[in-house]
Amino acid sequence: MSRLGGRAGVVAFALLAALPAAPWMSKYYLLLAFDALLFGAIAMSLDLLMGYTGLVSFGHAAFYGLGAYATAILLERGVLSLWACVPFAILVVGVYAVVVSYFATARRGIYFALLTLIFAEVVYTFFRYTQTFGGSDGIQGLPDATLWPGVAIDTPVRKYYLVLAYLVVAWVVCRTVVTSHFGRVLVAIRENEDRARFLGYNVQRYKMAACLISALLTGVAGAIYPMRSAFATPDLMLWTESGEFIISVMIGGLGTLVGPVVGGAFFTILRDKVSSVVDWYFIVIGVVLIVIVLFMPRGLLGLRRLLTPHRWRATA
Amino acid sequence: MDYLVAVLLPQLLHGLVFGAALGLLALGLTVIFGLLGVMNFAHGELYMLGAYAGIAVIGVTHSFWLALLLAPLLVGVVSAVTEITTLRPIYTREPLYGLILTFGLALVFREGARQIWGGDMRRILPPFTGSTPLLGMTYPNYRLFLLMAASLLLLAIWLFFTRTRAGIVVRAAVQDAEMLDGLGVNVRRVFTLTFAGSGALAALAGLLLAPIFTVYPQMGVEMILLAFIVVILGGMGSMGGSVVAAFVIGVAQSLFSLWMNPQRVAIAIFGIMIVVLIVRPRGFFGREGVLE
Repeated sequence: MSRLGGRAGVVAFALLAALPAAPWMSKYYLLLAFDALLFGAIAMSLDLLMGYTGLVSFGHAAFYGLGAYATAILLERGVLSLWACVPFAILVVGVYAVVVSYFATARRGIYFALLTLIFAEVVYTFFRYTQTFGGSDGIQGLPDATLWPGVAIDTPVRKYYLVLAYLVVAWVVCRTVVTSHFGRVLVAIRENEDRARFLGYNVQRYKMAACLISALLTGVAGAIYPMRSAFATPDLMLWTESGEFIISVMIGGLGTLVGPVVGGAFFTILRDKVSSVVDWYFIVIGVVLIVIVLFMPRGLLGLRRLLTPHRWRATA
Repeated sequence: MDYLVAVLLPQLLHGLVFGAALGLLALGLTVIFGLLGVMNFAHGELYMLGAYAGIAVIGVTHSFWLALLLAPLLVGVVSAVTEITTLRPIYTREPLYGLILTFGLALVFREGARQIWGGDMRRILPPFTGSTPLLGMTYPNYRLFLLMAASLLLLAIWLFFTRTRAGIVVRAAVQDAEMLDGLGVNVRRVFTLTFAGSGALAALAGLLLAPIFTVYPQMGVEMILLAFIVVILGGMGSMGGSVVAAFVIGVAQSLFSLWMNPQRVAIAIFGIMIVVLIVRPRGFFGREGVLE
């Protein structure tokens, strides 16, 4: 239990579960909370790669977008069950992720970032410019998905609990990974790839596995998104979207898992609030990013970590 | 034969023109990567700022030629200030931070340009019009000028790096900045000036291409992706490789667009990159262990 976060984790999830009961919780805020938690969960799965394995993916938007399209395609054709949409998304994202991770993990450092970016751009270009899946409009006006026949995920509260359930699953997966032997090997690779190789680990295979887990979690997040928004558009795959995932991880703090969840939620709410006031919110976000890199490279949680320097390594 | 002269040849020249300009952009990216270990995501925005600075200068002076001189200088200064204030403090950290920092810079520059100049498409008129008979066809003068200017610049850069002391100092810094520091060279200044130079080159490419393309705040985003592909294809950190790859991509893009719609062309370019990476994982001229 403690490896999954112990009492603090239970309290946090209990508070999140009680959130819809708060008196000031309007429909608008519930959907904002949905976006915040979804973004947080994606940032957390990206943290597996960035924080633990030391690989920066600039192509996570493609996993996200492919997941969203997988669901959208099924919903559009009247296959409404959650239990059909999510496995289909896992299949689609999985096939793509195997190809990308094979090429991207063959090279080190900066190549990984650039290759994931360029592969994602291929996918974006395909969905944006061919009419098969609606071109730049994407797939719009989708019906609500169902949990099982007769129970539609139609109200904001149900949608919120859907994303909360997903966050719990993603949290359990991520925590299990980073506390396992496998997770420790990933950290070893991050710290010194050559040494990990000399110890006999097949480094590329470990990197590919980390990449796949992260991609599939992000893909499932994508699969859930159209169940809230009722659309999937190519913009979900734009590389600036990948950039926003990275920003969320950085805001929260690399290699902490909890940090990126907070960072993703913070980023989503910041974007929502700032963009409703001014139309140059990208400048605000850019400046936030620059300030974080320059002055608090360990993110929001890192502030806390500075007080207890040795306890907090990302070795879980 | 008619097809060759009327269709293939102009398209080939278009490709060379574009490739030369792309080379200017990719070269700066490669040098900065080799020197600072930073993959500059904001490079496309410096390219974009070059075009807008050109528009601003032309608005005041009504001279394209003055703009060609002043715009790179202005962007060079912006680059130098950027380097000193944001990049300098993080050189000792992992390359990851440079990537993320320049991504933030790109957001600020792009949105800043949109706020200052608005989001709509702009055009710069070419400084001269008309066309010249060439190999049995006629070809626009401005494009010929662009090809020549960009090629001469590439040649000048090559001479700079091989024949001048300053160029050799930069190459030495790429090899081993610490040793150079020990030998009494002001490495910080080398970094700043090189960054400014690469920004100026990007600006120049942006302004030179502006009369052919359109100017808008997102114009750098598409170019930077192509420039990344060029740098990867050429072999990370190889300057010669970047130039060769820029011409290959320029010509390929141009010829493909004869037979495919633009979106397929983009996918075909990605395809080329993937095939090259399978056959030669380090690109055309990448050496093992360099900058990995």
